[in-house]
Amino acid sequence: MKNWKLSLLAIAALALAGCQTGSDHSSTASGGSGPKSGKRFKVGVSIPAADHGWTAGVKYWADQATKANPDIDWNIQQAKNPNEQISQLENMQTQGVDAVVILATESAPLTPIAEKLHGAGVLIINVDRGFTKPVADVFIEGDNKAFGRKSAEYMVQKLGGNGKIAILEGIPSTVNTDRVSSAMAVFKASPGIQIVAQTSGMWNRQKAEQEMTNILVKNPQIDAVWASDDDMALGAETAMKAAGRDKNVWMLGGAGMKDIVKRVMDNDALFPADITYPPSMIGFGVNTAAAVLRAGKENALKYTPRHITLDVDLITPDNAKDFYFPDSIY
Amino acid sequence: MKWRNLLAQYGALFALIVLFGYNVATRGGEFLQLENLRNLISQNAAVGVIAVGMTLVIIAGGIDLSVGSMTAMCGAFAILTVNKLASGHMSPGAIMALSALVSIGIGALAGLFNGFVIAYGRVAAFVVTLAGLAGFRSIALVLGQGGEIRSSLPQLQDFGFGGVAIPGSHGTGGGPVILYWSALVFLLVAVATSFVLNRTRFGRYVIAVGANPKAAEYSAINVQTIRVAVFALLGALVGLAAMLQAAKMNSVGTGSEGLYYELDAIAAVVIGGTSLRGGRGNVWGTVIGVILLTLITNMISASNIDTNWQGLVRGIVILVAVLIQRGRPENE
Repeated sequence: MKNWKLSLLAIAALALAGCQTGSDHSSTASGGSGPKSGKRFKVGVSIPAADHGWTAGVKYWADQATKANPDIDWNIQQAKNPNEQISQLENMQTQGVDAVVILATESAPLTPIAEKLHGAGVLIINVDRGFTKPVADVFIEGDNKAFGRKSAEYMVQKLGGNGKIAILEGIPSTVNTDRVSSAMAVFKASPGIQIVAQTSGMWNRQKAEQEMTNILVKNPQIDAVWASDDDMALGAETAMKAAGRDKNVWMLGGAGMKDIVKRVMDNDALFPADITYPPSMIGFGVNTAAAVLRAGKENALKYTPRHITLDVDLITPDNAKDFYFPDSIY
Repeated sequence: MKWRNLLAQYGALFALIVLFGYNVATRGGEFLQLENLRNLISQNAAVGVIAVGMTLVIIAGGIDLSVGSMTAMCGAFAILTVNKLASGHMSPGAIMALSALVSIGIGALAGLFNGFVIAYGRVAAFVVTLAGLAGFRSIALVLGQGGEIRSSLPQLQDFGFGGVAIPGSHGTGGGPVILYWSALVFLLVAVATSFVLNRTRFGRYVIAVGANPKAAEYSAINVQTIRVAVFALLGALVGLAAMLQAAKMNSVGTGSEGLYYELDAIAAVVIGGTSLRGGRGNVWGTVIGVILLTLITNMISASNIDTNWQGLVRGIVILVAVLIQRGRPENE
């Protein structure tokens, strides 16, 4: 009797050992082209768990970019919430990382730990969601104001300055605020545009579907939907199909999900355009960390911009093929 | 027979030693750094404080699913209090102490509410606290308008990452390794609760109520009062934990704070050998359970294993720890 209990433990221990050695193999295998002398740099990549398509894209591009820099020991960790992310960052510090690339689960809760790491001399590369204090050495974000402005300008133009619009917002955050306020500024400047509904779909497909279902019931006529995210656009589409209201209406999502880009490319009436907000920006963060460390942090930071804003592009059937990456997860 | 009893009694400790040994063997010096060992105690200190309180509730035959949402609600009140007082002339220390009291008070009230409905409304603890899980989160979200509430008192964060410097130690940040206040609070709460459980009349009543409520009633124990008391005590501890979290983050994310704490706390209690049927359990087992859960995260973040495996490893450890403790007579 007692033996099988012990063997259970042994199996569990072996299973863990298996995971461990597995990762050891991959890191030695990728270490082939490292520097000839000196210590290898250690860098942590701390990102949110893949709870929707865009964050899954972040993980994909983090994997791609770290693989492309095999001379550095990377440690990619995904966190479900700020508490978990703080623990992971603390562990990274104890493991002696030279740099961390952080996409925060939430801005304010992650600021103290980032400040602590920064104070301990760790290079901080912050991507997309910023901190509440300037504790990052480099902050890379998409231009969310341009996201709002360009998407709204396209909608006004396509509607000929007249029409009824429903708006789906994202998770309350600086990213969402910048997008919505810039878009609203454009809409308000066009008197023919009527905002008939405005609510949050939390950048989530199911939530957007629920919200759209309610919006459709209340509004017999909707000409276009500013969905601001491709996951939400797909949720809204489900609601429209279920209500038989997917004709004479179109949507503008956002972020450049490959399925949506494909439909833009194929001239789908529901998706005449999309706007980029590529999760691959995490890859740029990874590359920046690697480049700064290789060149020597002290020196490299002198000529590396503190704040890098990435432009966003309007995707139309004409240029869609340039933004279509069928192998990407997103 | 002796083997089995020994395993049953010290199952969690045994599992911890095995996992610890495995980490020493594979990671060596990096794992044994003082700073890393500190992390093992401090990172889940808030969950630890809650789990210790949960141990009493479970021993008394109850369960509380609302603690995670309650953490967010207490944290929201704590930060709002901090911000309200920070604009006045009060000293930072006094502000933090007062806010901690507010947080603990709100938690105790919420716990009292749970306890009263369970004891006098005769509704199952699972159901009442399930309602709390939804309700308390909602209150937090309303207070934070669905987002985060930031503290306007910078000293709060200094408290979050402050503590006692361990003499002669060297951390990776340059200075000595700091044993955080949160870790000390966690250990103190465990010592105090263990004392209450094992050395006081109240503790004996808690065990008696959980083991056999009818028999307890016949021995003139006020069963309902004991039930209300353990929930209120847990609530107060949740308030304390919420303040620790709020300090560490210098803010509270009303949507994300305390998410799954109820599951982590219950897992730690169960790993620690406390019976979900009530009437039997111990606080130090729970402490080991919390450290065991932290060790799993620690292990995974040290390697480059996909973080998504973490849940499976946790599940296996919970099951194994509980299975090896089943050495007692089958129909106890």
